Amino acid sequence: MSHRLDFATTQATEFVDITDRIRDEVRRAGLRNGRVHLQSLHTTLGLAINENEPLLLHDFESLLDRLAPAGAGYEHDDFARRFEVPLDEPANGHAHCRQLLLSAFATLMVEEGDLVLGRWQSMFAVELDGPRQRQVALQLDGEFARSDEQVSLEALVELELARQLMVDPEPVASPMRRLVEAGGKRLRPKLVQLTAGIGPRSDPLRAAELAAAVELLHNATLIHDDYVDESTHRRGRPTVAAAEGPERAIAVGDYYFAKATRLIAQIGNGGVTSALAAALESVCASQIDDVAMRGSYPGDRDSYMRVIRGKTASLFAAACESGALLSGAAPDVVQALGRFGDLLGTAFQMADDMVDFSPSSGKPVGLDIRQRVLSLPLIYAAEDRVVGPEVRRLLAGALGDAEVGRVAELVTSSGALPRVRQEAQHLVDAAVRELEAVELDGLRPTLVGLARAAVDRIS
Amino acid sequence: MTVQLLDRELDRLEGLWSDGLAETYESYLDAVGHFDPEVQPKLALAAALIESGVRLQGLGGRAAPPTTLLTGDLCLARGSRLLADNAPLPVQVAFARAIEAASSAAAAEQPAPALRQLLRQSLGTTR
Repeated sequence: MSHRLDFATTQATEFVDITDRIRDEVRRAGLRNGRVHLQSLHTTLGLAINENEPLLLHDFESLLDRLAPAGAGYEHDDFARRFEVPLDEPANGHAHCRQLLLSAFATLMVEEGDLVLGRWQSMFAVELDGPRQRQVALQLDGEFARSDEQVSLEALVELELARQLMVDPEPVASPMRRLVEAGGKRLRPKLVQLTAGIGPRSDPLRAAELAAAVELLHNATLIHDDYVDESTHRRGRPTVAAAEGPERAIAVGDYYFAKATRLIAQIGNGGVTSALAAALESVCASQIDDVAMRGSYPGDRDSYMRVIRGKTASLFAAACESGALLSGAAPDVVQALGRFGDLLGTAFQMADDMVDFSPSSGKPVGLDIRQRVLSLPLIYAAEDRVVGPEVRRLLAGALGDAEVGRVAELVTSSGALPRVRQEAQHLVDAAVRELEAVELDGLRPTLVGLARAAVDRIS
Repeated sequence: MTVQLLDRELDRLEGLWSDGLAETYESYLDAVGHFDPEVQPKLALAAALIESGVRLQGLGGRAAPPTTLLTGDLCLARGSRLLADNAPLPVQVAFARAIEAASSAAAAEQPAPALRQLLRQSLGTTR
């Protein structure tokens, strides 16, 4: 998140205390934990952290004056020897030299929403050639609190999901309600809602309807996937197939597949309907490829990329495109957001693969290995010169607890996880670059934050 | 139906054509005569894919094995995409409601409505 601090100085040399203004920027941006980077945008304006005590500030001024006194024969002030000197160029060699003694940059830490400063510390912009109009650039990064607007958008989707489930027959609504209420990251609906705020026809209620339909569609595919993968738990609760049998799981998945496509169609935007229908077809086709690849488990990177682009990234891309289409965004914006979603979805899946090897994730380590689910860290470990032969040998046999634990150990000890992490981060960087060339009505920082968070969960 | 359309729309589902999908497709042709000639085969194929997909999944009966379920899912998704790209909104909505009726009956372990009849009615929906 980037900002500029503008201010006017009134003296030739002046210590401007900008601490409170930075503090305000941190609060306004909702930065909870992270950093504020500051950069002077002038060659005669320095930055310094020190005590705001008037006599001390006078001491600093005297010190600067002694070290680089004004009018001490600076070559910079000999305009006859310089080229293209503006008419209003001041004799300010001393100011440039003084700036050299200070810094043009500073980084302040932020914890619990406030600047981390010692009792006597203040942040100063130091005017060395005033009075002038000045600017300091700020960049904030780290963990941001959700804004009231974001909280409201999320609440709208939850309300819409609850409303839709309320009117459905209990035999289908009850299992879906359990799945929805168990949580989930709701990334796809978030992408729909955010991108639906970009164009001139932004309508939060319609966006929430579309977002909820996309979440129902996603959950319908999960219910069938869980039966196919023989998963017993999802989001910490028994899967529909495990709890109520495969027949019920198929029926519930079909019901919400149909209902979601109906809700999407009833929104009445042909582009939205087509984008999401194409994505759903892609998801289903890639799920067939995914299962087919288990014969040559863990497979290779090219096949992996083809499958996850269809199975995961296609719905991320369609979520972004459909929100933008709903809001009437320009075609170049819709396309850029589609590419953003595709790259983000791919990175997200890679990050999700890594969670299987993280003891702190809350999920049992090695679940993907046990279920022979496609996983990029596993593919890289199997290709590794050192651990690869043992990984391949173990995966070729029956996978009990001991074998799964050993494979997880081998993957962790190889360079596979950092390699996947780096690859996922590069994809997020590429996704963010897709947003740079288009006008996003101020939503770029939120989309960038969401993209970074999708991968940061495994950093 | 043109060879090109078949090639494109039966990708990964080729085996189904000779395994009953062709006959199912034929059975819908007389229900799509009121649409533009260009979209008639697409809508008949959409209906046939949805009917075949639901049958493959074992909806309302014994659950299909995983790989067959996934083929059924792809049939439903492709049929749905053909509708999204070619059918008027009331037809899209009627198709979705037909699947909702069949699947909610299956979930409640009640007799399923005749899907072909529902889908044929859906093709005639005008509002």
